[in-house]
Amino acid sequence: MYASMVLMREFEDAILRLYHQGKIVGGAYSGNGNEATAVASAFALGDGDYILPMHRDLGAHFVRGQSILAMMKQHLGRAGGLTEGRDGTGHYTDPALRIYGNISHLGAMLPVACGIALACTIRKEPNVVMTYIGDGGSNVGEVHEALAMASVMRLPLVLIIENNGYAYSTPVARQFIVDKLSSRAAGYGIPGTTVDGTDLPAVHDACREAVARARSGKGPSIVESVTMRMHGHAAHDNAWYVPKKTLEAWKKKDPIVRFEKFLTDKGLLTRTSRKHLIDGIRAEIDAAAETALALPYPPGEDALRGVYADAEGEN
Amino acid sequence: MRKGKIKPMKTLTYIEAISEGLRDEMRRDPTVFLLGEDIGAYGGAFKVTKGFIEEFGADRVIDTVLAEGAIIGAATGAALAGLRPVAEMQFSDFVANGFNQIVNVAAKYHYRNFIPVPMVVRLPSGGGIRGGPFHSASTEAWFFHVPGLKLVAPSTPYDAKGLMKAAIRDPNPVLYFESKFLYRHVKAEIPDDDYIVPLGVADIKREGSDITVVAYGTAVHWALEAAGKLAADGVSVEVLDLRSLIPLDREAILASVKKTGKLLIVHEATITGGIGAEIAALVSSAAFEYLDAPIRRVASPDTPVPYAPTLEDYVLPNAEKVAAELRSLAAY
Amino acid sequence: MAKIEVVMPQLGESLTEGTIIKWHKKPGDKVRKDETLLEISTDKVDSEIPSPASGVVTRLLYAEQTTVAVREVIAEIDTDSSAKASTDAPASKAPAPAQSLPASSTVPAASAQATPMPTTALVQAPAAMAVPGRFYSPLVLNIAREEAIPMQELETVPGTGEGGRVSKKDLLAYVATRKSGTPGRVPGPAFGGAPAPLPSHAPAPAAPRIESMLKPVDGGELAKKYPPPGHEIRQMSNILIKMSEHMVRSVHTSPHVYAIHECDMTNVDKVRRRNADSFLQREGFKLTYTPFICDAIVRAIKEYPLVNSVLEGDKIVLKKFVNLGMAVASENGLIVPVIKNAEERNFIGLARAINDLATRARTKRLTPADIEGGTFTVTNYGVFGTMVGIPIINQPQVAILGTGSIEKRPVVINDAIAIRSTAYFTLAFDHRILDGALGGSFLESVVRHLEGYDDATII
Repeated sequence: MYASMVLMREFEDAILRLYHQGKIVGGAYSGNGNEATAVASAFALGDGDYILPMHRDLGAHFVRGQSILAMMKQHLGRAGGLTEGRDGTGHYTDPALRIYGNISHLGAMLPVACGIALACTIRKEPNVVMTYIGDGGSNVGEVHEALAMASVMRLPLVLIIENNGYAYSTPVARQFIVDKLSSRAAGYGIPGTTVDGTDLPAVHDACREAVARARSGKGPSIVESVTMRMHGHAAHDNAWYVPKKTLEAWKKKDPIVRFEKFLTDKGLLTRTSRKHLIDGIRAEIDAAAETALALPYPPGEDALRGVYADAEGEN
Repeated sequence: MRKGKIKPMKTLTYIEAISEGLRDEMRRDPTVFLLGEDIGAYGGAFKVTKGFIEEFGADRVIDTVLAEGAIIGAATGAALAGLRPVAEMQFSDFVANGFNQIVNVAAKYHYRNFIPVPMVVRLPSGGGIRGGPFHSASTEAWFFHVPGLKLVAPSTPYDAKGLMKAAIRDPNPVLYFESKFLYRHVKAEIPDDDYIVPLGVADIKREGSDITVVAYGTAVHWALEAAGKLAADGVSVEVLDLRSLIPLDREAILASVKKTGKLLIVHEATITGGIGAEIAALVSSAAFEYLDAPIRRVASPDTPVPYAPTLEDYVLPNAEKVAAELRSLAAY
Repeated sequence: MAKIEVVMPQLGESLTEGTIIKWHKKPGDKVRKDETLLEISTDKVDSEIPSPASGVVTRLLYAEQTTVAVREVIAEIDTDSSAKASTDAPASKAPAPAQSLPASSTVPAASAQATPMPTTALVQAPAAMAVPGRFYSPLVLNIAREEAIPMQELETVPGTGEGGRVSKKDLLAYVATRKSGTPGRVPGPAFGGAPAPLPSHAPAPAAPRIESMLKPVDGGELAKKYPPPGHEIRQMSNILIKMSEHMVRSVHTSPHVYAIHECDMTNVDKVRRRNADSFLQREGFKLTYTPFICDAIVRAIKEYPLVNSVLEGDKIVLKKFVNLGMAVASENGLIVPVIKNAEERNFIGLARAINDLATRARTKRLTPADIEGGTFTVTNYGVFGTMVGIPIINQPQVAILGTGSIEKRPVVINDAIAIRSTAYFTLAFDHRILDGALGGSFLESVVRHLEGYDDATII
């Protein structure tokens, strides 16, 4: 889990560097501060489970087994990438890893997650579907529609609400007036808990419980993770609207630093092993970036391909 | 359509043919399931799925919460997970609530990820049932503009069954526009076997040599009735039923227009930005040298469908309006 | 939207039609005012026609190589800059507004005032009409092209559609009867027998219409009769075809008589030589014999005005001005630019006008106005060494003067043989108006004026 968090941060830092070098053509999003939530939640899932991560959950992709190189190609929009340049960032689907990537219309993923969960139910498969929404996105109608459907049907669904205090630039005080977003669960008659999203073991415990409940056929749960967003909404946004005080307070809660301390205290991490790990990750990211950058963009006419699946259902 | 051996036939209404298509596919393929509002024990607002829950069980005939976005999104998710869902909108008007799921999620999924999304959304469409502005819309043009979707609009029991079966078997999201007006107004003897009507293939419902009418759904029947009236005047009208709007059978349209030299497009949906506009553009672009008259359209004026009978009758096209335009074109 | 109709210009008072050689614009193209819209060819000149307005070309009503009567609408320009060319055929509007038709059109007034047919027109079996300038659908034009039906023939096909429009059925029926050898033509103006021009503008000889002898023939078929390499088959140019038709018509129209006089050009030659250098220096072009001859003709016409007239029915119309045409051989063929109001010009003025026209004729920069309105023509075949020629009258004029080569010849003067520069002048004149006495007197007058120059003449 620690390695996944480090990988997430290092990868996103690399992406930001590439963005500032003009090598990322679109936007670049960062989950800096959200590493514990992204990683610990995904770790609560089993192999057959499905995950529909959001754009602050890069670590979840790696936890599910996505390769650094594949993610790099995807971010750089290169030929041979997961969507072959059709889409960027984490907007891809990899059925083998059961990753169904983000849809920018926040909230739109939830009904889809319901559908996957419904398929599991119909097929009587013991699999769980985990998906995510932010504090702002939790207001979208489809979220409520999906929770209504999932609760009534007792679908094996876990919803992580990542409350990082800001919906793009709008503080949560302008998004909802409940104390905890998890309290909305009561409206659907399902459990809702709130955890400190920088506390990896706490997130993991809460998610494991929710996953277990879903797998046992008791239906969906909400886990609200109170987390942080150390960067702006995306790379173009310097987050000037976040008060300095808040940022400084957040810095002290850096989930990686916090978990490092936990591991060090337990004797599981030394300075040497930490350096060894980070160096290895950096080398792998750099190599992936180099490989991906050497790849061409897809040829323009490729844009016309694949609007429809052909009659056999093949690609 | 299979040819050769004589197959057993049965007489079905349009709505019964839809049900039969659904039932056939559910019997044939266990991954096919239905979801929608009131489709289970109640059998659906129009009784398309009457008796289904008894045969297939609540796991495959799923009554859902009243939430179109969730219904369509769940269908998409289930399709991604390998099932073949058929979602019912109670009225096609209500699909607006699930618009995002169709146009942003389902329609773009294969393009973005090369993963098929084999799902069908059924949309009971059109007016003539005194349903007023919220229960009478013909919404196909909303989706005609969306790459990644397929759109079908049957006009006969034969096509209703065959297109339903083809739609369910198609690996793409298919919107199935079924005419509420035709549900119990048309009846025909259709084969009792496992035939399909392939998507993207138009059908000449009446052959003619002087004017082509391109229509789909309810409008096909107005066109056929009008063609009968014109025959009395010595004008031979060909009625081409598109059956599928996407894929559009461009070859069939062009072939017919090249044969007759005149084109009238008829649809119930409002005229501006309608399917007819695209067909007119296609023909003027690809068959200009074959035109012996301007391309004309008969469609609803740009209003919602009103409630009072006088108002609704005024707005909706009918056989008389089609015949008048055909006479004008014949005289041109 | 403001729609401007472009009409076939009347590029000469005697002209009744023009042939569209090339469209420079197609529907949908933007065109600036005065930008070349098309090239047309008429009897005498190929011209570029400038657009009358800025806008978007919405319709071209005739194909290239189509001959169209003057003042027929040939194109439409939408001056609303945002306008797009309509690829859709116009809705049920009556084509060919009546006012755009030639006044002498054979269309009955009632049908020219076309109105949209009622929607039940077909059942009411409207009378078939042949309406010039009517709209043709893309399909009809396509069939006409495939069946090799020229526009002028298409114009005669009876139409049962709205406003007399020819429908696909009409044309296919016509093609069927045409092939079976019983053309179902409506009586109408035949090609070459175009409507007579407006009397007020263009008095035309009341001569019998001559069908063009120059029917298009199949070059491939012809090659069987005249096989290569012993034969070479060439297409006649438009100017050549027009010349041919024009000459045949003139011969059929006017009984030609000829008078030939000898003219002593010695004095003219002396004046010309003496002034040559100063003239060239002053005017920038060479002093030739032509202004002398033209000057003499103008003076002679003033004495015999009947030579400068036209015949209109049983009336003779005397022209009070002299528009002197001078035949010029250009690489495209014979062309006759006209010195307008030659009677108002002094010698220098004539010389400049002649030089200007001759230069522009050679450089193909003549405008349609340059070749129209002639009242008398002079043709100088002497430049080719011809001693005596017999010219054909340039209709609807009544006389033409031909000048032979100027040579030094032995001449008896005062019973002595002298060497003089002389030329033989031939006057061909229309015996319907001019008799031998008048023709002879006129020619004598021309000669007298030319011989009257002396050393004192100052140019």
